[in-house]
Amino acid sequence: MNRLGVFVCHCGLNIADRVDVRAVAEYASGMEGVVMATDYKYMCSDQGAVLIKEAIKEHELDGVVIASCSPRMHEHTFRGVAEEGGINPYNVEITNIREQCSWAHDDREKATEKARGLVRAAVAKALLHEPLERSRTPVVHEALVIGGGIAGIQASLDLADDGYKVHVVEREPTIGGRMAQLDKTFPTLDCSSCILTPKMMEVQNHPNIDLLTYSEVESVDGAVGNYTVKVRKKARYVDVDKCTGCNECALACRMVGKVDDRFNLNLGKRSACYISFPQAIPLKCTIDPDSCLMLRFGKCGDHPLCVEACEPKAIDFTQEDEVVELNVGSIVVATGFDLLDAGLMPELGYSRSGDVITTMELERLISTSGPTAGDVVRPSDGKAPNSVTFVLCAGSRDETQCTWCCRIGCMSVLKHVYLLREKLGEKTEINICYTDIRSFGKGYEEFYRKIRGKNTNFFRGRPSEVRTGPEGIKIDVFDTTTNKLFEIDTQLVVLAPALVPREGSEEFARILGLSRSGDGFFLEAHPKLKPMDTFVNGIFLAGTCQGPKDISDTVSQASGAASRASTILSKDELENDPLIAWVDPEACVGCGVCVEVCAYSARELNVVTGIAEVNEALCTGCGACIAACPSNASKHKNFTKQQLIRMIDEIV
Amino acid sequence: MRKIAVYPGCMMPTEQYAYEMSIRATLPRFDIEIVEVDGFSCCGEPLKSISQMLTLTLSSRNLAIADREGLDLLIPCPMCHLALSEAKRILDSDEEMRDRINSKLSAEELTYGGTTRLFHIIDLLHDEIGLDAIKEKVTSPLGDRNIATHYGCHIIRPAELGRPVDSEDPKKMESILGALGFRSEYYPEKLDCCGAPLLPVHPETSLTKTGQKLEAVQQRGFDGMATACPWCHKMYDSRQKKAGETVGAKLHVPVLYITQLLGLAMGIDGADLGLELNLSPVDELIHEKEGGEG
Amino acid sequence: MTVTDLTSMAEAQMESRQEINDRLSRLMDEVSDYCYQCAKCTSGCEAHKLLELEPHKIVALLKRGLIDEMVNSDIIWTCMSCFKCRERCPQRVAPVNILFTLKNLAVASGKQVPGNYTAMMQSTMTIGFIQDVQSVQTRDGEVKKREDLDLPAMSRPGDPQKFQASVMAVAMEKV
Repeated sequence: MNRLGVFVCHCGLNIADRVDVRAVAEYASGMEGVVMATDYKYMCSDQGAVLIKEAIKEHELDGVVIASCSPRMHEHTFRGVAEEGGINPYNVEITNIREQCSWAHDDREKATEKARGLVRAAVAKALLHEPLERSRTPVVHEALVIGGGIAGIQASLDLADDGYKVHVVEREPTIGGRMAQLDKTFPTLDCSSCILTPKMMEVQNHPNIDLLTYSEVESVDGAVGNYTVKVRKKARYVDVDKCTGCNECALACRMVGKVDDRFNLNLGKRSACYISFPQAIPLKCTIDPDSCLMLRFGKCGDHPLCVEACEPKAIDFTQEDEVVELNVGSIVVATGFDLLDAGLMPELGYSRSGDVITTMELERLISTSGPTAGDVVRPSDGKAPNSVTFVLCAGSRDETQCTWCCRIGCMSVLKHVYLLREKLGEKTEINICYTDIRSFGKGYEEFYRKIRGKNTNFFRGRPSEVRTGPEGIKIDVFDTTTNKLFEIDTQLVVLAPALVPREGSEEFARILGLSRSGDGFFLEAHPKLKPMDTFVNGIFLAGTCQGPKDISDTVSQASGAASRASTILSKDELENDPLIAWVDPEACVGCGVCVEVCAYSARELNVVTGIAEVNEALCTGCGACIAACPSNASKHKNFTKQQLIRMIDEIV
Repeated sequence: MRKIAVYPGCMMPTEQYAYEMSIRATLPRFDIEIVEVDGFSCCGEPLKSISQMLTLTLSSRNLAIADREGLDLLIPCPMCHLALSEAKRILDSDEEMRDRINSKLSAEELTYGGTTRLFHIIDLLHDEIGLDAIKEKVTSPLGDRNIATHYGCHIIRPAELGRPVDSEDPKKMESILGALGFRSEYYPEKLDCCGAPLLPVHPETSLTKTGQKLEAVQQRGFDGMATACPWCHKMYDSRQKKAGETVGAKLHVPVLYITQLLGLAMGIDGADLGLELNLSPVDELIHEKEGGEG
Repeated sequence: MTVTDLTSMAEAQMESRQEINDRLSRLMDEVSDYCYQCAKCTSGCEAHKLLELEPHKIVALLKRGLIDEMVNSDIIWTCMSCFKCRERCPQRVAPVNILFTLKNLAVASGKQVPGNYTAMMQSTMTIGFIQDVQSVQTRDGEVKKREDLDLPAMSRPGDPQKFQASVMAVAMEKV
């Protein structure tokens, strides 16, 4: 390149405040290889784009240097502008004089001097640019949705309706997720199962959806457009083609009433063989290897009772896990959340008393399909409580536990008040200890008002401890609205615990290469503008796995994620970023070091030619192989060692 | 023989003699020799309301004396343990403060070095000596008794500072008592304060707190209460009668130092454990032993 | 620009507030700014039921800069230093330590030191301890002294003069 144009951006006052942009532009116009240089208020604007295109035409530029904000902001835009202007989009060099200059320094003189240096280096690099072409890779028109809760269900239905084949992998024996554990949803008080099961049935019946329940993702290889995913289908020990879901085996099982029922949050018991809930999809039995006597010890009495009870003869103890391989173009992650273990806060009494429960446990008590068939009773004595006290923010907004707001606690508890009034009547005392009531959504404030009218005692204060003893449960709470300390003598305490990432998230993130934010939830590419994208091209997030949210926001995000996935799947080919590694065949000695250091499995040693090769779809241009190559055969396009040396010369 | 130094504070050596006697009587049985160290003064914690700088300086001073000895330091009083632990934390991380304090200590030719490990009697018994070693030495268990544990405040809080015992669900004293053959049930008032720090300003309130907790312990049917702090013990034992008068209750709760209970279970004579100095009805707890297995 | 409390006509004392926050920082405590008034501290305060101390209110007044109101009050002397507020606060604020600082300010400003503190200070400055060896009574009513119980002599500051000098020097110094 030898006809460069330099454009120095003011970025309003963001850069111009600290850097004399006019002076930098003037300085640049005198550099060798620079045909013209100018400054402008907002290079990223429409006018800025016009400025570049006109300059290209007028001065017959073959390359462009833009001194502006971080390339992470507008590199893509500027490349597009250059291409429209008629030059190769990879003859564009961006130098960051905002985040790395004007925003980092106070001294105007020194910042301007630094900006000059940065522009010199950028020009030096740009002069050695080569025009690059994007390679293309084919796209597999199939999607993978990991997680079968409402987020996964929504995303998979959207994608399936778009015409793509969708594989849904769900860890539990049935889809439905957390919504299946709820009784009613706020603020409409819809019956959760009633609005969920039709969607679950749609998933089961959709011709485009391949449902893999009781399965887990073991590995993900490849890149956007072409992922290879290994999924382990865990053995149910039940032949799903024969099983009719009649549940006779569960009733006959020798372990009936002895196994902690995880779906009911261990408030109830089940058998070793089970169907999680009546509307399970698929409606097939599963035998739990941790509690089944046959699977643990090889014998069950003198014969397994389930086999005897099963008419279609579907029980098969010889079944084994099966690993299948899927090939998909895009992945949506919808793995959901867990609740913070309330036992981590001993002062709240959760471990000490069975009558201190969580909101989710209350939800199961309220549910007709729950362990008490919908009777809200104290776990200790099975009697209806005459007083129920809710403690919000149990472990939330807490620097010593979870620093974030759980987002749904306030509304869940308000909903519970409504349901408890129905179940327990008007005489039951209901108390809520809150710090702030966050009723932010559509219809939420109206619902809060309704509950304020329902004879509920609101205490604005957080209790320090929950005292449990033979004489009952006592909570002292200071109410800042009346400036009085109240002693609450209650019979059932419901804690609203913090929402935390699902157990196993760390390992799962590693498998997919996902980043996590400080709170442990999966990291979105940008909280405002890219809330479903991740930093891994082709993998999108839906629902609470990205952060606590309610059902409305989950469904919105799920549809959004499906749309994002669709953008990839709708293409036959994807263009690959050409700013990647390449191998000089003359220099390569075939040592294979690059294959070892590549974290993206993008390198292969061709056994026939003895020369290393780069998979252009997988290579991300991280540079590891370039640093590792002992014979200088591994090079980076438009980021060569010569360019780097020239840049350093200019700065130093 | 493992050697340790003991930092006695103010309360133990000037009035809570039974605590000191029972520590001196029991530790040698675990091959621990107490090395006498002269020069200690108050840790400053009771005077924190007057001057936090004074507290910090006095605590650092005592730590400097301990550093000179080069021995582990047993601090039987939780208030002192908190003061010294806090001083250690600040001086170990804030160089400026460290220099400032050391310039004051130089008047007595002392320098804070930060090399001493600090123990309270609970973690010395539970973590260092160990429950197995304790069980081995139990020759005269008192039999099945339900003893309420009183940890007090300063040995369990604030957890962030690093305390020898858990702040919300402490179990070490229960484990030690268990090794001695006792039961120790949970009770809701377990973590309540004895009230001692308010003695200088609001003595009646102090005694009310003391009386309220003793009343609860009594009503719940405990056979006695175990303490590990000279201030708490002063309130619950020496001032039990007064506390009872303050809250209008007839209190007769046997209150003993955990080291006294340890000594008794090891067959050490009560006289050597300062048992005569307990003003609460401790004979009620021990008599049955003499009538029982012995 | 000012912020005035119309009940007392007191203005916010932002410098004093900064001073207190600085002292807290130097003692490695969280500053009061992060408090969101959940009142968990007061809900569990050991001194609240009997003496009406409201730790969350102390923090709120500190945030508003209404320092004199607190320094001149009796309420700050009711803290039991049980540290439950510090332990349970979801924002790691320590009302107990704020109260120590306020009490220090009260003493430094020449206010009368309440209760027994004067005697304790005097004793510490002379012999190095808040009290000297006491005679105690046994359960049977006998009187015993430390030496009667076969306990060795108490550990005391080696050079009382030097000790006194260094204590006097620091007693009124601020953190």
